[in-house]
Amino acid sequence: MSNDPDKVWPTGLTLREAEEVHSYLIDGTRVFGVIALIAHVLVAVSTPWLG
Amino acid sequence: MFNYKRFALARLSAIGPRWLPFADVASTEVPLSRLLRLSLFQVTVGMALVLLVGTLNRVMIVELKVPASLVAVMLALPLVFAPFRALIGFRSDTFRSALGLRRLPYIFKGTMYQFGGFAIMPFALLVLSGYGEAVDAPRWLGLSAAALAFLLVGAGVHIVQTVGLALATDLVPEEDQPKVVGLMYVMLLVGMILSAFAYGALLETYTPGRLVQVIQGSAVVTIVLNGIAMWKQEARNRERAQAPQPVVRFSDAWARLAARRGMLRLLVVIALGTAGFGMADVLLEPYGGQVLQMTVAQTTRLTVVLATGSLIGFGLASRWLGRGGQPMLVAVMGAAIGVPAFLMVLASAVAGSVALLIAATLAAGFGAGLFGHGTLTATMRTAPRDQIGLSLGAWGAVQTTAAGVAIAVGGAIRDLMLLAPGTTAAGAAPYIPVFALEAALLALALVAAWPLWRQRLDRGQNETSLETKPSAVGQESMVTTEA
Repeated sequence: MSNDPDKVWPTGLTLREAEEVHSYLIDGTRVFGVIALIAHVLVAVSTPWLG
Repeated sequence: MFNYKRFALARLSAIGPRWLPFADVASTEVPLSRLLRLSLFQVTVGMALVLLVGTLNRVMIVELKVPASLVAVMLALPLVFAPFRALIGFRSDTFRSALGLRRLPYIFKGTMYQFGGFAIMPFALLVLSGYGEAVDAPRWLGLSAAALAFLLVGAGVHIVQTVGLALATDLVPEEDQPKVVGLMYVMLLVGMILSAFAYGALLETYTPGRLVQVIQGSAVVTIVLNGIAMWKQEARNRERAQAPQPVVRFSDAWARLAARRGMLRLLVVIALGTAGFGMADVLLEPYGGQVLQMTVAQTTRLTVVLATGSLIGFGLASRWLGRGGQPMLVAVMGAAIGVPAFLMVLASAVAGSVALLIAATLAAGFGAGLFGHGTLTATMRTAPRDQIGLSLGAWGAVQTTAAGVAIAVGGAIRDLMLLAPGTTAAGAAPYIPVFALEAALLALALVAAWPLWRQRLDRGQNETSLETKPSAVGQESMVTTEA
């Protein structure tokens, strides 16, 4: 915990750096989400579930 | 009162930086263990290549009964992205990041695409082949899903390999680059061999469920190995983040790279040589089987011999270049060994000698190893430090495209010759033009490489004649001070 107002806890990254790390996390979640959606559609087409 | 917030903050800030995937400082010395860890990304690339070209090629045609022409189109789709490697490399060179990272974000994205492609691939293939209720599914669904899966895996492989090699080049000083190149090539081969055995064993008894397990298992292995490979490899760089790079257009960057002496010629040499060596890859086994009546076990051993030759080539090239050898000399030697090797392949049909074919295959693999190592090291050395991504992208684009086109052309020539009247599958006739073309391409590569080698040799001599004296003096003075 430095007193540098530009740094955010707990990593000691600056705000812009932290936002960049966060953007990678968001990107990854989006890609995973879309991939999971497509995979579910394909599985539902070949072996339908819930009737 | 116990201050929970302060306590939690203190604990969190103590562990925080350890859990971030980039290194805090760039170390000058990179130990071998770290390079080995980095080279794991080549294992996943090799795994993806084997799965696409080898395993799925067979599974789609034999088990899933997809038409062979459609399979060929699907497997060729990733090649569409190969020329974009130069663009990917360029983008990673000039990436704007608050953390000062250049390579890590791209490797992360590439790994995501590769993972995503593998994750949907088995279901896409099952829908494509009309498994279960998918018989009634519209045709476009299976086709577009399979195409998307192959494109995603292809894009991921291109991105990971290009940017991964650029990161490896960034990490080590120039004299260690041959070692890294050798390591990367060996790990690619190791990945291909191990995964070929693994896929063979796992898919021995094929069921649709097993196919899903194997391909999705590959997806998980990809993300785990790439994660281990990339962990804390690239240092964050506050200076680079604070001084944002000027906006450079791709065309300008490319013009600057192409203007470097010998760069374009080097790319031509790589295209010719790779096409020359690559054309035989898929034809050597049928040639041994149909012309020399070798059994399946024997022809499989032929591929092992080819890989062994390449490994010996990489190893020797690493040693020579590590001792200050000229990369172009090594590449020229590789091509020079390749020409007689492919002529020997032709001669083995005339002589009817299996031993001659095996010797020729070993020599061809050896030549390919020397050539591949020499040209990649030469590419790394020719590139300026801030354009490493672009030049390695150009290397990958040329190399991958040349290999893909060569395999397609080789197969097409053989099939056309088979269609010609009067030839039978048993004779060597369909293969003669292919192997002759390979020898011719390598001879052309030699001709193209000759001025490059001379020029390098001249420049190298000039440099050493200028540089040896001061350094020798420096060494002497060091010795005297020590004494």
